[in-house]
Amino acid sequence: MEPKPRLIEENIQKNKRDTVVICMLMIILLFSVFFAVGLILGAPPILTMMIGLPVALFYIFITYSFSIQSVISAAGARPANPENREEKLLIYKVEEMALAAGLPTPKVYVQESQDINAFATGHKPADAIICATSGCLQQLNTEELEGVIGHEMSHIMNRDILVMTVTVGVVGAIALIAEIALRMLFWSGGSSGSKKEGGGNIIVVVIAIIFIILAPIFSRLTYLAISRKREYLADANGAYLTRNPLGLAKALEKIKADIPDDPKGSKTVAPLYISNPFKRALRDSIWSTHPPLDERIRRLRAM
Amino acid sequence: MDLMLIIGLIVLLIVVIILLWFFSYYNRVIRYENRIDNAWAQIDVQLKRRADLIPNLMETVKGYMNHERGTLEAVTMARSAIMTAKTPQESMDANNMLTGALKTLFAVAESYPDLKANQNFLQLQDELTHTEDKISYSRQHFNDSVLQFNNIIETFPGNIFANMMGKKTREMLQIPEASREVPKVSF
Repeated sequence: MEPKPRLIEENIQKNKRDTVVICMLMIILLFSVFFAVGLILGAPPILTMMIGLPVALFYIFITYSFSIQSVISAAGARPANPENREEKLLIYKVEEMALAAGLPTPKVYVQESQDINAFATGHKPADAIICATSGCLQQLNTEELEGVIGHEMSHIMNRDILVMTVTVGVVGAIALIAEIALRMLFWSGGSSGSKKEGGGNIIVVVIAIIFIILAPIFSRLTYLAISRKREYLADANGAYLTRNPLGLAKALEKIKADIPDDPKGSKTVAPLYISNPFKRALRDSIWSTHPPLDERIRRLRAM
Repeated sequence: MDLMLIIGLIVLLIVVIILLWFFSYYNRVIRYENRIDNAWAQIDVQLKRRADLIPNLMETVKGYMNHERGTLEAVTMARSAIMTAKTPQESMDANNMLTGALKTLFAVAESYPDLKANQNFLQLQDELTHTEDKISYSRQHFNDSVLQFNNIIETFPGNIFANMMGKKTREMLQIPEASREVPKVSF
């Protein structure tokens, strides 16, 4: 089914709206978990929410605060060296994309790696960092490198780092709360509340327990769906900045032909890379943070 | 009495909603307009940067390209025109002149292998190409900002608020080089 062609700007708006919808679903999921926990422990949901919400927020805050430095260290990235011509040209590309986006120029880092890959990070555009692998600099021509940097700049423009880090935090919080609730249930051997009400309530409790076991999986799938949507958005927005979707398409084609030999970096970083650096087998499934390369190339070439 | 209260609350709610709506549009209109002014200033920064690189370039090619009088003069003349331009139109024309003159100079430089081996020249060439790209992207961003601004003050309901604020549509830059097409997307 061919989607009808629209202006890039409209697509960017639509993608942002879709993200909001999915995020709201995520929040509903979080509160449902609180509710279910309340049910099985026999405590009123308001209470579990009052305890659970600060825990969740705190967890999200901690994940958010430590994300940047851990990303850079995990990748083993270093600042780009302007004395080296290739790295100087990389810095130039980042400056140009920043101008096209109307943002301050991010700091530029390089990660020593044969793979062709790049990522962006930073709490807000003013603190942003874009990092490209040395593989990028060696194997991509100017147009392709520009496409990749345009994609990364779009992540910064659209605050994807913020969106994804908070989403990861929510997923972690749901998993944490679910785990705590199940352990409490296990150790307390069922709650006094459910014993009081009798048979009918047991079914509700069982449903709540199943829900709590499945909630982390649901939230992870939702997180991955958000990640993939944002990747498409970054592709479209990047094409808008460079006015040249073919550049990125060609770079993705080179990435596709490439076999990653040394995946480095922490898992949390994955959505910020331009292509999934891990688990090649899982690359094109619903368990992937990135949409299938073939589909991304197809959409870019159709622009 | 109860009915009056309910009606009063509903009216209040409607007023509050309209006020919030107005504020959101007001802020966006201001932000988009500021973005245009910022983008315009940025173009100037890049143009000035390019003009500043010219003396260094002239020094570097001097020894090698002495016979290319016309080409070299075109560059220096364009630069003086930029320095002495009084109106924005004059400034734009002078800058376009410089773009053409530089293009010719670098094309001619291709036949001077000694010059092309000169490290200084290579660095300047990189930097000037980079500056040309920056000028181009600054202009692109300016036009994108103008489009975003015009869109919000021309479409409903932004146009109502824009009229109240006295905002008028802005003009985009006509870019002399091959205009970049905004790609259509199948999403």
